[in-house]
Amino acid sequence: MSESEERMDCEAREGGAAPLLSVADLQVRYGPAQALFDVSFELAADTTLAVLGANGAGKSTLARALSGLVPPSGGRIRFDGRDITAKAPDVIRRAGLVHLPEGRGVFPALTVQENLRMGLAVDRADRKAALERAFSIFPVLAQRHRQRAGTLSGGEQQMLSLARALMVSPRLVIADELSLGLAPRLVDVVFENLQRAREAGVSVIMIEQFAHRALGFADRCLILQRGVVAWSGPAEAAGDELLHRYLGEGTAA
Amino acid sequence: MLQYLFAGLALGAIYAIASVALVATYVSSGVFNFALGSMAFTVARFYYFLNTESGWPILPSAVVSLGLFAPALGAVLYWLLFRHLRLRSPLIKVVATIGLSVALPPAVELVFGKLTNVTAPGLAPVPLKVFHPFGAAVNMDQIMTYLGLVVVLVLGIAVLQYTDLGLKVRALVDSEALTSLSGVNPTRVSLGVWAVSTVLTGLAGILLAPTAGLSVEGMTYLMAAAFAAVVAARLNGLATAVAVALAMGVVTTVIQRYLDPESALSAQIVPSIPFAFMLLALLYHAWRRRAGEPPAGGALDRAIRVAGGATGGPAPARRGLADPTLIASGVALLSVAALPLVLPEYWAGLTATGLALAIALLSYTLVTGEGGMIWLCQITFAGMGAVLSAELATYHGWPPLLAVFVGALLIVVVGAVIGLLTIRLGDLYVALVTLTFGLLVQTLLFTRDRFYNFGQGTAMPRPGFAEDTRVFSYLTLGTFLLLALLIVNLRRSTAGMAMRAVRWSEDGARTLGLSVVQMKLLVSALATYTAAVGGGFLAMNSQSSLPDSYNVFSGLVWLAVLVTVGSRSLMAALVAGLSFHLFPGVFQTYLPTGWAEVPVLLFGLGAVMVAKDPDGILAVHARQLRGLLARRGGGLPQPSGRPAQAALASGSPDSAVHQLTGGDR
Amino acid sequence: MNAVSTSPVPAPPARLEAVGVTVRFGGLVALNKVDLRIPPGSMVGLVGPNGAGKSTLFAVLSGLLRPNEGRVLMGGGDVTRATPQARARRGLSRTFQRPELFSGLTVREHLVLGDRVRHSGDRIWRDLLTGGGFRRPSKEEDERVDRLLEALHLGGLQHREAAGLSLGAGRLVEVARALAVEPEVLLLDEPSSGLDMRETEELAATLRRVVEERGLSLLLVEHDVDLVLGMCDTVNVLDFGAMIRSGTPEEIRSDPAVRAAYLGEEPAPRDAEAKRDEEDA
Repeated sequence: MSESEERMDCEAREGGAAPLLSVADLQVRYGPAQALFDVSFELAADTTLAVLGANGAGKSTLARALSGLVPPSGGRIRFDGRDITAKAPDVIRRAGLVHLPEGRGVFPALTVQENLRMGLAVDRADRKAALERAFSIFPVLAQRHRQRAGTLSGGEQQMLSLARALMVSPRLVIADELSLGLAPRLVDVVFENLQRAREAGVSVIMIEQFAHRALGFADRCLILQRGVVAWSGPAEAAGDELLHRYLGEGTAA
Repeated sequence: MLQYLFAGLALGAIYAIASVALVATYVSSGVFNFALGSMAFTVARFYYFLNTESGWPILPSAVVSLGLFAPALGAVLYWLLFRHLRLRSPLIKVVATIGLSVALPPAVELVFGKLTNVTAPGLAPVPLKVFHPFGAAVNMDQIMTYLGLVVVLVLGIAVLQYTDLGLKVRALVDSEALTSLSGVNPTRVSLGVWAVSTVLTGLAGILLAPTAGLSVEGMTYLMAAAFAAVVAARLNGLATAVAVALAMGVVTTVIQRYLDPESALSAQIVPSIPFAFMLLALLYHAWRRRAGEPPAGGALDRAIRVAGGATGGPAPARRGLADPTLIASGVALLSVAALPLVLPEYWAGLTATGLALAIALLSYTLVTGEGGMIWLCQITFAGMGAVLSAELATYHGWPPLLAVFVGALLIVVVGAVIGLLTIRLGDLYVALVTLTFGLLVQTLLFTRDRFYNFGQGTAMPRPGFAEDTRVFSYLTLGTFLLLALLIVNLRRSTAGMAMRAVRWSEDGARTLGLSVVQMKLLVSALATYTAAVGGGFLAMNSQSSLPDSYNVFSGLVWLAVLVTVGSRSLMAALVAGLSFHLFPGVFQTYLPTGWAEVPVLLFGLGAVMVAKDPDGILAVHARQLRGLLARRGGGLPQPSGRPAQAALASGSPDSAVHQLTGGDR
Repeated sequence: MNAVSTSPVPAPPARLEAVGVTVRFGGLVALNKVDLRIPPGSMVGLVGPNGAGKSTLFAVLSGLLRPNEGRVLMGGGDVTRATPQARARRGLSRTFQRPELFSGLTVREHLVLGDRVRHSGDRIWRDLLTGGGFRRPSKEEDERVDRLLEALHLGGLQHREAAGLSLGAGRLVEVARALAVEPEVLLLDEPSSGLDMRETEELAATLRRVVEERGLSLLLVEHDVDLVLGMCDTVNVLDFGAMIRSGTPEEIRSDPAVRAAYLGEEPAPRDAEAKRDEEDA
């Protein structure tokens, strides 16, 4: 489509289709400090990408740049055939990219129901069905629909955040550390639902600290190290040795 | 009694409407609107123009001013100014809205003409119908006021709770980042909030006009009362703000029942009631340790916020005497020093006043420029310095200079106490406490007959050797230089470094072993002393203490002018002080009288501009000049004239001067 | 080497010690009866997943946060109620996860300030009366500052304002500032994040040298487990606000509970989902 795509590696392309997301030479600065250097990758439709890396490697920054929360200082981002570089987050959201930010991606002062309504601010069609879908995925939310989101437990807040993405039909979901701080049982629930979304044709970029879990789920893997893409390839090729080299975390054993 | 209650509720309802507007804009866009009073005045003045001056009936006048003019005003101001403030430092937010409050009234007067008679009708037809429920009189204006509040509250709650629009507003208050991630454009929502709250502000202004008069002063008083209610509500609780506003209104009228309306005391107590409320609320919150700023937005909003504040880049290395910046500053100083010699008497007099003001402005350079604290009561310290030194000189026979320099030491105690009281408060609270303190001193102390003396104040002689204006100018300039030298020493000394350390990171400073309390006390004390000395010189200059000239709101203009020129540079204080007096002089002398307000308008606009360029115009000029030089490939501009002077004063290391010499070599 | 021991044999008083420290934020237990000992001249590591309570423990140790229960001791003396500056004067120094730099000061000034706090504390007041701002700094001070600048490779940046520094350089400035006060105990909160490999190695070498030369004690919080395991004598593992293991690097390396905390391979020891948001990483 554009000349910039030719410069990129094409390994992520499947079936010759244009990639859903293509990132070329992305750079991000927080004030004077540079957080991402020349990050390039592509994501085909219907694929799941695991983004791994140590603390401060730039994973969350990458997610924020893709969803427009932080403006890139260089590079190009194309999503679903259009250039979304430096577009506002609400424009990017309306284009079909949903970012579930790290931590609690909910409005604490709004009720559960209102949080879900905010999730539907863009997709107006058939709100009732969408709300029912959210409540059927996470029945606990239905019980608490009049409760303020800030008073939910951490796990329930994560569910609410995820529900806001799953009740609509986005093209791409970026899930930033969704399992952070969750009990293992709830981590399972999160992964189950991501799997269901995936089956419904949603592409997923997952940023995870549980590297093995994420790799077991994803098709492809991207490892960031100090703001640079250190390695990228099929998820099954990212073995222990590789993780140890780039993450250091715990895999030392 | 009931009658007082009715009147009090009406007053309280007006305060409440204004408080709602203040809270709405603060929680949705992070800007605490110091221009509330001016905006209320603007809308009320427009209503007066339609209803009284153009003879429109009440209903169309109200519909056009509140339905069209007010939202348009709010939207335009949001677009031009408030939109850019969200991520600015608290100082810039305060100064830019102060600038707006300074600039709006003269702009309105230029368009609609100056009002000589401030009595204005409200929303009820004149003559007012009067009812007598339970035997107490209630007039139609008061009923319109109750109605106004009820409509505002009912509509407000309905919209916020039950509509999609209200949901978006509440979402925005919770987290701007998350709102935009939900596909909602936060700018559009904020624009709406500003438009609506300007309608409320205007409504409060129109309702207030019949009782308090259609004047900037009256509206400013309304603003102060709304501040008090909002501070009591910790800046974000609508219900508390409305309740406190109503209580304040009732207390204000009921207390009058027990006061002798003729006594001087009641003339002082009644206007101080909102300030007393605010002080009590602040002390209560500080005692409960809840007077930090409520964090704007959620964790996500904080995480994506780019560290603001100081600009980066290489800092100036230590320079020798041959440094071009130093030489150039010297040249600039010499030309200022020549002014009293070359100017005729009238202008020399203005120069002397400007120099005395420059001393007082140095106090902002210290407390705000170095210490990073937003104090709005420096003019009050100056006033106290003026009053006290005049007392000492006239009634106790002290030599004038001794009275100024020793008297200022006594004022330092006051400044230190305020410094201690505000040490744990957030920036905005500090600004409000100091503003309140200033207003209290102004209404309770400066108006006492002994000090006030029908506005003349106490006589304050100049020193015997400096009775001539020229000699006095040099004395003042010398004092300015002495204080400036002390400040330079402070900046470069260990204490100066420690002070800046505390300013930029209290945790970092404390864990290094520095005492935050000591450093903040030091800067408070020094700034207070400087302000009080400046006040003493201003008094000597006018040979009287003139307590009226130390009005807190004039102090806001002082701050606006200083920050416009540059809050960190010593030369900026000199330039600001001189232009504050010389500039209006030019307008008065050479331009039609209708233009008399233009300088104030320009000062205000200047302060508004800091929203876009927080460094002040000296730095901006330096940057522009640098750009020009770069384009010209290092061509040599004239070494004299204002732009060059400006560049020198900016103190920026790679300022035009460096470029200049670079091109020279 | 056997720094942390549960045996009744009396150990020398630790430079810094936390005993049964508990911190609650509202209903959340951020730290639950945490014990930690930093003996003289030792390097102690603290690891744990995001949100485990590491930064909270740092805040308690340095005096910025008062614990709900438990005590903090320095050299055997109780400092639980001492202010941060009092602890600093007793020889405690720290860095922050997000560097707490003095934006308006140059890199060199950060170090000069630290040096003066240590060597000429009275200058804060004396300078004001004696025109100290115009005097040249003493030769000894210049030498000490230069040595530190050189040790951390900051010489080239010494006249830059801190506001313009990269995250990595900012961390080095913080470490240098902390060393400039010549502390007895140094707490480092994630010093390597934002540094590249080479810078991390250089920092580790510098720290080792300072520990050897000055007998400094060090507490190191790191996500870079390799760095901690490679440098420290004792490593403590914090998870969900509780200290789940303390031991030598070898012991920690092979501990299944530690692996679980990091990898999520096995069920975590307790269900404490609500505890992890105290630190936003």
